[in-house]
Amino acid sequence: MARISVPTTARLPSSLRVATSNPAVSKILNHLSRASLLSVALDWLDENNQALAAPYLRETEDEDDDLDDLNPPAQSLEELQKLYADLQARKGSKREVLDRIVEGDWRHGLSLYQLAMADLQHLYDHPLSQKWSAYRIVPLKPAPRDGDGDDQPPPVADKESLVVPRFHPSTFLNALQAQVLPDVKAHYNFDRHRALPLLLLRIFILDSPYNTSLGIATPKPAPATFDTSRTVYIAFPDASPHVFISKPQTVGAGAGAGESKSLRTLIVEGIPKALSRPRQRFTLKSTSLATRNLEEMVERRGSQRTNNAAGGWGVYADENKKESPLDTVLPTPPLSEEEGREGKKRARALSPATRREERAAKRARLVAKARFGESARVDDGKGVERVDVVIEDAFPENEPTGEPGRRERPDGGDKEGEAGGQWRPNVRLTFHGPHVFAGLRQLVEHGIIDGERMPGWLTGEEGVTVGAVRNGRIRGYKGSGV
Amino acid sequence: MASLDDEIENLQARVSTLKSQLQIQTSTLLAAPSTRKLLSPPSSALSLPADDNTPLRQKLLARSGIQHAHNQQCLYRACAGLTLFRAHDPDPSAVDGGAILGLRIEVVSRAKFLRPYYVLLNRPYPGSGHLRVHRHTIPACIPLAGLAVRWLPPPKGEAKQDLARFARVLRLEVVRYHHRLGAVADLRKAAGLGRKKSRAAAEAEEQDVLGARAELAGGKLVDITPADAEAKQISVEWADGRAGRLVMGDDGEIVKLVVVGEGGRDREAVRELLGEATTIEDVVRRLTSG
Repeated sequence: MARISVPTTARLPSSLRVATSNPAVSKILNHLSRASLLSVALDWLDENNQALAAPYLRETEDEDDDLDDLNPPAQSLEELQKLYADLQARKGSKREVLDRIVEGDWRHGLSLYQLAMADLQHLYDHPLSQKWSAYRIVPLKPAPRDGDGDDQPPPVADKESLVVPRFHPSTFLNALQAQVLPDVKAHYNFDRHRALPLLLLRIFILDSPYNTSLGIATPKPAPATFDTSRTVYIAFPDASPHVFISKPQTVGAGAGAGESKSLRTLIVEGIPKALSRPRQRFTLKSTSLATRNLEEMVERRGSQRTNNAAGGWGVYADENKKESPLDTVLPTPPLSEEEGREGKKRARALSPATRREERAAKRARLVAKARFGESARVDDGKGVERVDVVIEDAFPENEPTGEPGRRERPDGGDKEGEAGGQWRPNVRLTFHGPHVFAGLRQLVEHGIIDGERMPGWLTGEEGVTVGAVRNGRIRGYKGSGV
Repeated sequence: MASLDDEIENLQARVSTLKSQLQIQTSTLLAAPSTRKLLSPPSSALSLPADDNTPLRQKLLARSGIQHAHNQQCLYRACAGLTLFRAHDPDPSAVDGGAILGLRIEVVSRAKFLRPYYVLLNRPYPGSGHLRVHRHTIPACIPLAGLAVRWLPPPKGEAKQDLARFARVLRLEVVRYHHRLGAVADLRKAAGLGRKKSRAAAEAEEQDVLGARAELAGGKLVDITPADAEAKQISVEWADGRAGRLVMGDDGEIVKLVVVGEGGRDREAVRELLGEATTIEDVVRRLTSG
């Protein structure tokens, strides 16, 4: 432990140890299941991580003075590795592993690096635990000067720019650290996502001007300096001018929530500055997409073809479809593929009513396929859990196009605005569920929604989760469209 | 049991091969000039008798017409690389009655046609034929938005839209991007680095078997990866810990190469790797020959 703490502007070192009695340690570790706890512990014991996650080992043989120690320290790394592997093989309680870690092998504290690893493991175990919002990195240009005023107007978005922002992790971190206020200390940890093309940055913030363990020691009555709401994740998708920022869950009420909010704003404001370089400035622009599902995020705001071709347009983006101009075989239209198979089965005679029903069901399925393409399947794992839409259209006059089944929660529909002689009811729709657009697809497939008259934004092809509908379309310049 | 399952599987595989062969033969036969002559109305001695005007013949004629059109489309696609088509927006409240103009950009990489990139345009401005990008499948590292603002501006100002220019510039960008990716793949191959599934952007590139291992004095190259979204920067790593960054221009010309070793900048390594090379292809050639 360092003797003197001097306020600095440096970031927190990864090797800094946090006492195991700290509430943050037990909080982070308690989140994990037994299996993940063990795999994380084995990761810590890896040779490459010894600099930052060394366990407590007994130095000499003769020193067995504390016989009442329930978790006697091991003598070598190999012994510990074997011990944890054995624990992994047999069954047991989570408590046992937790005690072993906290009171035994890492009794001298866990380093911030270890905590970051444990927290990331939690993210992998519970991929939906964070709520992400996507931002687009937009290049800026200096605003045209008007007249002879000395004050430089703020820069405006450069729509003509052909610059694709470049991102370099260590430069970015240095620049970001310069943006964070000196009385706030942060620990940064980069990690590649295991399955998705993402670079994850975990920022862990501490309200202390010191970057030694004394700053973390939680001296006085303030144990609240450690809080999960002070962890912010930033994900950088590969080869894409987007950034995903996690929203810290508002655990505490009142002042804590406000504080964490301001902290996030601080970081959100710092990111574009950290990305910018002299003579090349960027800003972040919200893309109206917020979801817990990172896979969906990567699909909609990643580097691939699917960014602006969601829903039924996905047929243009499907990489698996072969479409070489050297292939002269006539392509089968996408909707006719099933017909051949279905025809043979229906050899038995059916009553006209059943046949009509079957035909309607088949038509509904085909329409769903036409509108949704291959997207919005229940089991594709790319669902958004909430979509908010405001309808700004005038009330249809001639024909009450009731939309039964679509409105799940029309709240706030009683406010009325009279504009231009037309009655514009204030209608807000909120769709809720594990996979909103898959649910809508199922409704179309079962004939509850008329798939041919369904507006396009119900297929999720706009790729936004918040939007305003005017003239039956989600207004442009937000999600898709250029 | 297992052998029976195997047999069934084999037979099914054969059925699907035969089916696809049948399709190929059908399309070849239908497209052949002699078939067309045979089917066409009786003007020559070769064609079928006139009284044989059955529905079957009509059907064959129609099919032959479709096949002919498809062949022509394929020919244009293969030769022009940039084709237009019409599509329909299924959204009932789509602008302009759902009319869509599609732009198809062909990309050839490693002697293969990739899935084309599409830009779908609509005309949302009432009273004017100005186009706007509606949907597209262009990868995120191509500045489509900037190009669209330059060449397809909305009808407010006096600026005119130039679809041909837009399409050409966009295709140029896409093709350049794929060439740069291809150059990185070539470099990896030349340096004897195997296939590595790391970057999503590089996945589209096929990488073949390991090439000849290129040993350079002072260590071997251990990693070559595109370092930014546009694949204009390549990070190079040596076995002894030296790391370099190569910056390419739009057309593969080498703008800069910096190598940093333990003792600061390593200009020797730069000279060794580049030599007289001015483009990335020269470097590939050097690596494969040397």
